[in-house]
Amino acid sequence: MSTQKLAMVIDSAKCIDCKGCVAACKQANGVSRGVWRNWIKEAVPPLVNASDGSKKLGHGHFQPGACMHCDEPTCIQACPTGATYKSASDGTVVIDPRLCIGCGNCIKACPYGARFRDPVKRIADKCNYCPERRAAGLAPACVDTCPTKARVFGDINDPNSDAAKLLAANQGKVVRVIAKGKDTKPNMYYIASTAPDGWAVQPVDPLSFDFLAGVVAPAVKWAVGLSGLGVLAMLGRQLFVGAGTHGSGGAHGTDDKPNGGKPSDDKPNTEKKEEGGHA
Amino acid sequence: MSDSETKRISRRDFLRLAGASATAVAATAVGAVTAPEAKAAPAAKAPKWESKLSVCDMCFNRCGLIARVERGVITKLDPNPKFTKSRGMLCARGNAGVAQVYDPDRVKTPLLRVGKRGEGKWKAISWDEAIELTATKMKDIAAKYTRCGMLFSAGADMQSGFVNRFAEAFGSFNVTSHESLCLLSGNRAFLDTFGDVPLPDVKNSKYVILAGANRLEALVTPDSMDLISIMGNGAKVVVLDPRYTKSAALASEWYPIQPGTDMAFMLALANVIISEKLYDAKYMAERTSGLDKLAAHVADMTPEWAEKQTGIPAADIRRMARELAAAAPASMVYPGRRTSDYENSTQIRRSFAIVNALLGNYDRPGGLVPARPAGLKKVAFEPPWYDDSPPGRVDAKSVPLLFDDEGSFVLTREAVIKGAPYPIKGWFVYKTNPMATAPERRKTREMIDQLDFMVVVDIAMSDTAWMADLVLPAPSAMERQDPVQALQSGAEGACLVWRDPVIPPLYESRPVFDILKALAGKLGLAEFFDFDIPAYRLKQLAAFPEAAEIIKRDGVFYPPNPPLGGTDGAPFKTPSQKIELYCSRYAEMGLDPLPVYQPPKTTPDAARKFRLVVGRSACITQGSSTNNALLSEFEPENMLWLNEDAAKELGVRQGDVVQVESPAGKGELKALVTPKIRRDTVYMLSGFGSISGGLSHTKGVGASIVELMESRFDSICGNSAIHETFLSVKKKGAA
Repeated sequence: MSTQKLAMVIDSAKCIDCKGCVAACKQANGVSRGVWRNWIKEAVPPLVNASDGSKKLGHGHFQPGACMHCDEPTCIQACPTGATYKSASDGTVVIDPRLCIGCGNCIKACPYGARFRDPVKRIADKCNYCPERRAAGLAPACVDTCPTKARVFGDINDPNSDAAKLLAANQGKVVRVIAKGKDTKPNMYYIASTAPDGWAVQPVDPLSFDFLAGVVAPAVKWAVGLSGLGVLAMLGRQLFVGAGTHGSGGAHGTDDKPNGGKPSDDKPNTEKKEEGGHA
Repeated sequence: MSDSETKRISRRDFLRLAGASATAVAATAVGAVTAPEAKAAPAAKAPKWESKLSVCDMCFNRCGLIARVERGVITKLDPNPKFTKSRGMLCARGNAGVAQVYDPDRVKTPLLRVGKRGEGKWKAISWDEAIELTATKMKDIAAKYTRCGMLFSAGADMQSGFVNRFAEAFGSFNVTSHESLCLLSGNRAFLDTFGDVPLPDVKNSKYVILAGANRLEALVTPDSMDLISIMGNGAKVVVLDPRYTKSAALASEWYPIQPGTDMAFMLALANVIISEKLYDAKYMAERTSGLDKLAAHVADMTPEWAEKQTGIPAADIRRMARELAAAAPASMVYPGRRTSDYENSTQIRRSFAIVNALLGNYDRPGGLVPARPAGLKKVAFEPPWYDDSPPGRVDAKSVPLLFDDEGSFVLTREAVIKGAPYPIKGWFVYKTNPMATAPERRKTREMIDQLDFMVVVDIAMSDTAWMADLVLPAPSAMERQDPVQALQSGAEGACLVWRDPVIPPLYESRPVFDILKALAGKLGLAEFFDFDIPAYRLKQLAAFPEAAEIIKRDGVFYPPNPPLGGTDGAPFKTPSQKIELYCSRYAEMGLDPLPVYQPPKTTPDAARKFRLVVGRSACITQGSSTNNALLSEFEPENMLWLNEDAAKELGVRQGDVVQVESPAGKGELKALVTPKIRRDTVYMLSGFGSISGGLSHTKGVGASIVELMESRFDSICGNSAIHETFLSVKKKGAA
């Protein structure tokens, strides 16, 4: 069986920020109140000149998003238990709820704020491209429900999929949002006009010295990274850490507020990457 | 970061950057981590659900849906791809239909008021008691005050027609719906111009002016989706709105028009189209009447004149007029839906209709199309005659051109309060909520205080239900069998839908049809309800023997749709049989036969500086969905949109609680300080500041629009006029 590469291709210029995708995801996946597996970000509109010389707000832009199911995901490296892994058959980044200890490392390791700790189950959660719906032959809930069909989903290894066709039709005009200097090879493709692009953050690698110094006593810092003691330490940490924290690129749920959705004030560490089509 | 500041990177930079990041990964990975290893994921199992077709009920659009039912519980509502009117979508509200069905705030049993009105003390009673009580009260009121002493109000619902049927059989002329708080001004204007209320064919349009319609938030299918697709194909969409709405954000052009000046803009468009002869002269001569009078009327209404009124640059107005005309007939001024804005809203919308007439877009692709044939048969009956009936509705003749079958809620309310021309003492309410939608809430309260008996049938304890003597639990749409309804979809034609229950009724809820049938039995009116819903549907579908099977299979039936242009050569249903630029009927009635521009009223009081405008978002349909558990995550409260410069002057900062006040009432809510609204205007979402103790997410949350709005109305048709109120705004605690 040939390997799939499931991806989302998003024409964000079509997005009207109606939250249909977010509501559909919450309902389909029983996502807890206050946390979100997907989002719509809002670009801060520019001030432009009106024809009479006055200033007014220019074009706005809304950008749907979710876990990007990266080819080089930083979250997998951050997971001490192997609960997070890449599916060999379809390329999705999967969380095994039986192995997740809720340590939160993956949340900080994701540059896109795509992960959060479920406040009820107290384990990591994020978009999984609705595997049960796919098994029933349906598109992920967000894609199925989208009023303007801004979200397009499919196996981009299959040239006949909707997603692959859209990618091919926009060859040279496709970008990905990544953290500057840290290309996780996301499988979320945007048509080039997308905005905002200033919101991905530097992933925090739990094995870096700074991070460890911040969580455990210096004496055990190396042991934590290398042994089962690390798992215990992280488990212990879970008991003290508050529930429901979104990653730093997150707080997506509030992005819709007319003025509250400032996409992380021009953080210099993010950029859009042009894609020369795809392999 | 704005679009314009986005740094595009070249292919060469892309390669260089990719190399750099690879290095970075290697550096952090030393001695610790290897590249992520792919594992085989366990195969997910398809849910064991039954898929049942139904129709959404979270707003008036009625989008086709597929309910996924697992062990008797609805777990998901998905769009029905065969229902093309919605373009195969289900919005946030549609998805939240599940939360509505399982809302713990639902009314579960008949409730009889035992405390003071509005105090919230209830006693659960049986259905037999509830029906007996209602029938007795109706009989008493009919005996004492004539049958017109009962008022019937039903909201947008597939069973609302039965409430009207009941009222007619019972013998009351007094029927209102939500429409006189919403769309009647627009209907009046287009009817009096075209003899018809045409629909926009957005899908085929090349140029759309959206004025007074926030169509990318206040979703109307298929228009909202089609606006996005046509812009993708190069069509132009121009938005005029004092607020930078999502429609404004995504439009080709946006102008923050001075509220209340849309007519000046439209008359200037007419001025340019006429003075530059951009119309089809043959068409205008054959199909319209009054072009010469219109030409004289708008002769001085130049774009320069309109710029002073609207704040829109004259050069842009002139250009838009030319662009509209160049794209005609596939261009339009979008007619809009809610038109309950100003006291002269009918005349404002007449100016919209007139520009459309000048574009010659009637019954043309991309223009305004007449309602398409649906072929649905009326299930007619002969209503009984009652000798003691008063001559007409209680609000009859209060305005020159009331819609007799809709009336005016604001004027009916006035009549009930006064007890004149005759008393109304009973009120039957189904699924409409004037306590949250009719301006000046205290007057609705005053009206209710005049009543001997008020019964509300609803799924939730709305603010209106909270005031009732008796509240009867309705099932949600997913629990009901409903008659056939025809829906219009622009040039694509009508479609027919019905509902069958997806799950059995929850709690003790009973559909309004059953309630009315039971009441009819008690009141000697059984002959008018001598059918059940399947029999009724068969009669409705008499023209299409195949339709029932198709609706069962696909959730929707499309009757034959003749091509556009079928009205060519046929007379318009107006006195002149032409499109009336100059409205002869208005002339006869002493009304302005051409829309006469009057600058909007300015604030009567220096302290009340801000014009209040209201609306909804894509996540809520006013009060009927703000209390929804899922939707309340998106719209947990309403905030006062306040321009950032105005806020600075008032010393109001982001999130401060402000006190707002009008002659009608006052409220408190948080300020949303933003550049997205004009300095002279404030905006609030509808559906908040509820008073009902049965609404756990919205009671006392935010401020109520109807607490603040003054009870103004359209002087021609009695539609409410809800943008005529000025507010004072001050920071809470400030002197």
